Amino acid sequence: MIPLSHFLIISACLFCIGLYAVLIKKNAIQILIGIEFMINAAVLNFVAFGKFDKLNGGGQLFALFAIVLAAAGVAVALAIILNVYKHFKTIDPSKINKLKN
Amino acid sequence: MQEIEFSEFVGLISLLVILLPLFSFLLILAGRKGSGANLALINISISFILSVYLFFFIWNKQPIHYQIPWFLIGDIEFKAGVLLNNLSVLMITLVSGISVLVHIYSRTYMKDDLNIHRYWAYLGLFCFSMLGLVVSDNLLLIYLFWELVGFSSFLLIGFWYTRPIASQAAKKAFIMNRIGDIGFLIGIIIIFSQFRTLDITALFGDMGLVKASLVDKGLWISASRQMPEVWFSIAGLAFFIGAMAKSAQFPLHTWLPDAMEGPTSVSSLIHAATMVAAGVFLIARVYPVFDPFVLNTMVCIGAFTAFMAATIAISQNDIKRILAYSTISQLGLMVMAMGIGAYSESIFHLATHAFFKCLLFLAAGSVIHQLHHYRDEHSLDFNCQDIRLMGGLKKGMPITFIGMCLASAALIGLPLSSGYLSKDAILITAFEWAGSRDGIYTMIPYIMVITSWLTVFYISRLVFKVFFSTPKLMSMEQANQIQDAPKQMSYVLLILAFFCLFFAFAFNPFSFDSSWLWNGFSSNLFQKVNFYHWLIPLILNIGTAVLIFTAYRIYVKNDGMSISEKNIFHRFFRQEWYLHELYNYLFTVPVEKFSNVCYWFDRNIIDALVLKSVTLISILSAISHWCDRILVDGFVNALGTCAKWIGHFSRNFQTGKLQHYLISMLLVVLSFFILTYFI
Repeated sequence: MIPLSHFLIISACLFCIGLYAVLIKKNAIQILIGIEFMINAAVLNFVAFGKFDKLNGGGQLFALFAIVLAAAGVAVALAIILNVYKHFKTIDPSKINKLKN
Repeated sequence: MQEIEFSEFVGLISLLVILLPLFSFLLILAGRKGSGANLALINISISFILSVYLFFFIWNKQPIHYQIPWFLIGDIEFKAGVLLNNLSVLMITLVSGISVLVHIYSRTYMKDDLNIHRYWAYLGLFCFSMLGLVVSDNLLLIYLFWELVGFSSFLLIGFWYTRPIASQAAKKAFIMNRIGDIGFLIGIIIIFSQFRTLDITALFGDMGLVKASLVDKGLWISASRQMPEVWFSIAGLAFFIGAMAKSAQFPLHTWLPDAMEGPTSVSSLIHAATMVAAGVFLIARVYPVFDPFVLNTMVCIGAFTAFMAATIAISQNDIKRILAYSTISQLGLMVMAMGIGAYSESIFHLATHAFFKCLLFLAAGSVIHQLHHYRDEHSLDFNCQDIRLMGGLKKGMPITFIGMCLASAALIGLPLSSGYLSKDAILITAFEWAGSRDGIYTMIPYIMVITSWLTVFYISRLVFKVFFSTPKLMSMEQANQIQDAPKQMSYVLLILAFFCLFFAFAFNPFSFDSSWLWNGFSSNLFQKVNFYHWLIPLILNIGTAVLIFTAYRIYVKNDGMSISEKNIFHRFFRQEWYLHELYNYLFTVPVEKFSNVCYWFDRNIIDALVLKSVTLISILSAISHWCDRILVDGFVNALGTCAKWIGHFSRNFQTGKLQHYLISMLLVVLSFFILTYFI
């Protein structure tokens, strides 16, 4: 059987990759991909800890909720990105700085 | 009851006499420029009429002493009031009478002066203070008026203050008089601390405190207190110094010749007839305070002054200066008479001298006035007061000539003149006095005889030079064109000339014993030596006749005497015994040197100290400036810089870039995490 710590290490790696993408990438879509990575790291944790709640299956349940919500969130985010692109002709977040001045 | 009312009435009248000239002073000063002649004349005339009225009330009758409370010091009450006795009524009549004449004279003499209103006002002030001086009953009041007299004299000497000589002369007169005033004040202080009163009747009356006090075993004892004997003499000397300055006695006489820079009418009223007599008057008022030592001093100073002034008068050429020295000489005679105890003779001479010296001055004033007009009409340039330039004025100015001659006769003491009575009275008494003395005092009467012969010579020199000798600047015909002064001035001369004759003062022209004025004061303490009474006048008059003849020979026949300028006596007298130079050397130069030393001290010590402290303070302020700038400001600036730096630093977080915020958030969360779990 695969021990819990392997799941946690994988998930931490996924989270860090996601975080790296969010902080570094100049493309809003790549940032969105990074966010998906981080969500999936969390979902992986839910499922991994779900073996301690076999009776109710709360882990799996929350994982399903999270996947659904993430899908909805990605849809909204993509819509925003499309609109942003229409408006600014770019999707680099560091160049979208109208609020600054 | 009736007597009290009477004395109140008389007191009020005398107050009116004094105050009328003061009113003219105030009103004229308040009034229009260039006016005031009539007001002044009316006021002084009323004063004169009232004082004549008082004179007939009081003369040889009961003296009247009317006083009111003045002020309190502790429990000593001072009273102010008037004391009318023979002396004071004689003086107020004399002063106001001569003032009236001089007022009338000045109307013409001063006519064209621009500031004539000041002249009338000052004259009013002078009359007020002089009249107040003679009737005051209290030493303090006398002192006040004494100062006022000096002040008004100062104003009048400096009347033409734009001329530097006149203002210098005024200052000189004032300062010299101040020296005397200090003496007078010291005398008053000593008298007050001894007797606790300044009332003249109480102090110097027949049964007064001074006479009642006695000198015993080196102490001067009065009713209530005592002090060392020497203070008695000091008090007498102090009063005498006061009198010396006012009456121009050696060594305080130098102001009087300089005072001739004032208008001639002023010289006549103040510096010949009235104010200078105030010193003699003061001596008469406080007579009991003089002990034998002071009286002897008085004799010596008086005799010396008389002699010295007569020698100077011989060698002067300015007509007014000759008369000024003549005045000093005659005042010396009066002071000497006071010293030998010839009280009534001295007062008698004071009265006759007032008239004839006033006349001499006014006649000289007429001459100067007419010469001035002549000079201006012909636009010539010469000194109107120099007798060397005058001459031959007899024909053109008969009234002035007669007045001058009568006044000179009185000054010389020719028989039938008033001066004969009073001057010979003094000389006879001097001989009688010397009979009871020995040593140097026996010389005094002989000095006076010589002085009186000198007087004969200088006054005949003046008269001959001015009226008889051949004129120097113009021909005889031109000199005859110079006419008598206008009527107003000439009439005054005639009135005064009347008083130079004997019948104004006595019925018998050859004996002063019969004079009413002399009999008004009794003082004859000496054994009467009969043969003096005819011998002395005889000798004097023989000498006089010889001298007049000599002067006639010299100045009319021979047209002057040629004395080389190198003659030591001539130079000595001409330079007025070098007294001005001596005073200059003794007082003025040391004072100047002293003030130079003070100036140096001020400049080099005081200023240096100030400068040093300035340097010190500037160093201190530089230090505190540095502290302020570097430490305090530095701290504040450091705070500011720090805040700015923090602001800059935290501003860097607000880039407006999404990912930067995320990094910040991450870092904060991580640091919390690290802080919570690892530290």
